[in-house]
Amino acid sequence: MKPKVAFFDFTGCEGCQLDALNLEAEDLIDLLNGIDIVNFREVMTEKADNYDIAFVEGSITTEGEIERVKKIREQAKIVVALGACACIGGINCLKNHVPMEEALRIVYGKDAHYYNTIPARPADAVIKVDYYVRGCPPATSELVKVIKALLLNKKPDIPNYPVCVECKMAGNICVYEKGQTCLGPVIRAGCNAVCINSGRYCWGCRGLVDEPNIESQKDILTKYGLTAEQVIEKFKIYDTCSEVLK
Amino acid sequence: MNESSVLIIESDPIVRDSLCEWLKSTGFDVTCAESAEGIVKIVEKRDFNIAIMDVRLHGETQLAILREMKAIRPWIKSIIITAYPQEETVLEAKKIGIVDYVVKPIDLDDLQRIIHGTIESIYKDNINAINIESSVESSTEDLIPGIKKSFAISRDNLALMVENLLKETEVVGVKAKQGKYVYDKISGFYELSLDYDVTVSPPTRYLLPERETLLKFRTDNNHRIEPVIKYTPRVIMGVHPYDIKAIELLDEVFMTHNPDPNYIARRENTVIIGVDCLRPSPGSFAPSMGTNWTETGFDLLLTDIGNSYIIKIGTERGAEILAKYAKYRLPTGDEIVRQKKVRGEALSRYKLALDIPRDRIPKILEDSYDEPYWESRSISCLSCGSCVMVCPTCYCFDVRDEIALNLKDGERFRCWDGCMLVDFAKVASGENFRRDKASRFRHRMFRKGKYILERYGKLGCVGCGRCSSACLAGIASPLEAFNSLADNIRLKEAATRVVQPAKQEQDIYIPEMAEILSVRQLTEKEKVFELKLKSGKQLGHYPGQFVSLSIMGVGEAPLSISSSPLRGKNFELAVRSIGDVTSALHALKAGATVGIRGPFGNGFPLKAFEGRDLLLIAGGIGLFPLRSLIQYVTDRRYDYGKVNILYGCRAPAERVFTDELELWKNSKDIDYHETVDRPCEGWTGNVGVITNLIDKVEIDVKKTMVAIVGPPIMYKFVIEKLKKRDVPDAHIYLSLERRMKCGIGKCGHCQINSIYTCQEGPVFSLTQLRSLREAVL
Repeated sequence: MKPKVAFFDFTGCEGCQLDALNLEAEDLIDLLNGIDIVNFREVMTEKADNYDIAFVEGSITTEGEIERVKKIREQAKIVVALGACACIGGINCLKNHVPMEEALRIVYGKDAHYYNTIPARPADAVIKVDYYVRGCPPATSELVKVIKALLLNKKPDIPNYPVCVECKMAGNICVYEKGQTCLGPVIRAGCNAVCINSGRYCWGCRGLVDEPNIESQKDILTKYGLTAEQVIEKFKIYDTCSEVLK
Repeated sequence: MNESSVLIIESDPIVRDSLCEWLKSTGFDVTCAESAEGIVKIVEKRDFNIAIMDVRLHGETQLAILREMKAIRPWIKSIIITAYPQEETVLEAKKIGIVDYVVKPIDLDDLQRIIHGTIESIYKDNINAINIESSVESSTEDLIPGIKKSFAISRDNLALMVENLLKETEVVGVKAKQGKYVYDKISGFYELSLDYDVTVSPPTRYLLPERETLLKFRTDNNHRIEPVIKYTPRVIMGVHPYDIKAIELLDEVFMTHNPDPNYIARRENTVIIGVDCLRPSPGSFAPSMGTNWTETGFDLLLTDIGNSYIIKIGTERGAEILAKYAKYRLPTGDEIVRQKKVRGEALSRYKLALDIPRDRIPKILEDSYDEPYWESRSISCLSCGSCVMVCPTCYCFDVRDEIALNLKDGERFRCWDGCMLVDFAKVASGENFRRDKASRFRHRMFRKGKYILERYGKLGCVGCGRCSSACLAGIASPLEAFNSLADNIRLKEAATRVVQPAKQEQDIYIPEMAEILSVRQLTEKEKVFELKLKSGKQLGHYPGQFVSLSIMGVGEAPLSISSSPLRGKNFELAVRSIGDVTSALHALKAGATVGIRGPFGNGFPLKAFEGRDLLLIAGGIGLFPLRSLIQYVTDRRYDYGKVNILYGCRAPAERVFTDELELWKNSKDIDYHETVDRPCEGWTGNVGVITNLIDKVEIDVKKTMVAIVGPPIMYKFVIEKLKKRDVPDAHIYLSLERRMKCGIGKCGHCQINSIYTCQEGPVFSLTQLRSLREAVL
């Protein structure tokens, strides 16, 4: 019996779902041999409320979304958070730094009173999440890795070490050596240091490792010339700051 | 290829000119002089390979000048020409060290033979010296290798050699990149930076890549498993001596005990062309580690002496390359002097040094195990692994399975792992044997300065300084640690040796297929599997050993063997479902196929147990490995004195092998006692901790040997109790759990201080464990 799989979207750009579809045709066929996709708004009109595995994408930003994600949890045997917004809150959490009324006014202007919103949060702030497919967007290969692990009934090999490990494996010159700063030393690897490989630095989209040494990372950022505010800003983009500020 | 230089000293202009022309026409660089006077000045100014000198009757003046010339440049080979071959003159000349003499009138064939013989002998001296081992030197003076193994090559000819090599093979070399240096494939000599200071990551990645497939498999009924040994023949150009020393350490690790076929294939197809480091990086302390020069480990080694290079042959392969691809010549004495000079200058450029001789590092570490230094220094450690990822001597790895989306085809691969990462020593049950930063930090320094040295005879740090520049927290430098911890006790460093690969019997990573013959449920979470190797061979284990069980696509897990080797060809593995592999194993039924590697480890000391009273103590699933010994002992009951078995469980429902427990209980040959911590309704047996049972046993401390297997917490209390009964440490044996990944003493996960649990363990005497502080009892 193939497991029934559903994809649900909450607040986000839906890029993660799009990326999920970015499989080679051959792999897609193999994937569909292993699972039945029963609910995936972005690609199909059919809908079924009977599923075993639910992928939830996006962060939770309204009361309605809280109810909806709770229902999904009740139905699904396994819930997987898909992408940075669902896993750690992500970019949506930038609004949490201003009062909600202010956020509504900035976005919707004079129509703000039509809408309501709550501070953005990751899926696991509301429900229990079994697995995480991290990243903004997650690498298709990582999604596939997690699906394969679920089918084999084993824990997915998602590293609990920082990006530095994969960055060194890639043979990169450290971002700090170039006089810039980077969140690599505290952010969970698994991305193969893709941003640094392409000449950028780590923004933190995969969230913190289990035991990040935040104090040391702050010291290093300060040593490399950042002010305390800039350090927080650095962690803000994907909301690793809420963990950092704890 | 001959650019050898000759000096002719001949007063007769006809002889002189004809000799000069003839030699020039055969390709020599020739300098002529009329008389012996003034020769000293010429020789002082420039160097020659050969001097041909006319010696007149008696010839005291010429011989004196010959002596003087020899004193300035002792390597110049002299040939004398004489019309008066008087015995004493020739004898005197031979004393000075002439090669030969020619009698006037000169027979050119004769002279040609002598000159060629001389050139050949210079070349032969070089070749013969190739395989002669020389020890690592300690002073600059000794470090300079003699002329015998070295040649000179111009920069243009070196470029030509590289271009020639590029036509036939991949060449990796050091390139400048964003103000740093990196190893990368090159497409031309112009890309090389041979005067670099240090590269960001070491060249060892070409021998031990960050990810490498070991096996390919298909998980259908046939369980096809194939080894994957992939390598690209390549030349690595411009390796510094400290990295060459690091490669020699890897050779020791991967080519001797349990030879690693993947590493060996790659190593044997890698040519190493070294280059002396003349512009050390500010973080390097190679001279303190004895790694700034090397006499071994390279095929060819270059020293940049300005407009040319001294090129030294290290192996026959190196000699072949030089002969085949390059134009080279004998170095002049000037060039040798120049090499000495540039090396001396390089030595003075190092900014960092050990405050103590390096042979004291192990003792310093040993005496510093409990220093607060580890704790205080590692507070800022990010556990980011940067230090180990850029280290040329770090080789620890993880082994994992990756399966295709069809869930059939897959590969088992290894990838870099490091002891500084949080989960490195974590086992499936969640126990982490090196949980805190300080213990990981200390472990790394001990590997660098002590453990690796003790195991392989070579220090685990070559002083390249990469870790300290990669460490953002600024704490990774072994130099800083060793200097901080320095004290006054000396230890002798083991000698170095050239590594030859051990004989490979079979690929150490390929599991043998075994069939599950039966599955029996023991408790809710535990089952026992009866297995048989498909080859029909017996497993050939000893009680207390373990195997690595593979479920292709899921992974490999170490499992202790639960049955006695005396009970037939089949063997049993009792298993708790706790991690990926064990859960997957629990889902399998009789008839299924699994992979087995092993048996691994030492097992219980059967010889030491013979004729003794035995006290066998098991806690919980500690009975799984101990059952193997109990079965063995009951099958050879006459070999032992009194046998006491103690078994403790948390609850009656967790008791395993209940039918056998019943047998032992009713046996007249065995005293069996058991207890549970939390009784259930209907339990009529003992209640309480296992240590209470020890009180029930008579112990003759002289005769009794104890074997204990259980959770770590049980060891602590059982040992306390046994010590109260005066049982000596040497009579107490324990089996330890650690994360055993490769089973062959390489991957590093199961290390307890200096030992590998999968090799020297898992069974240890308490005496042994007392010296292993990480074993925490």
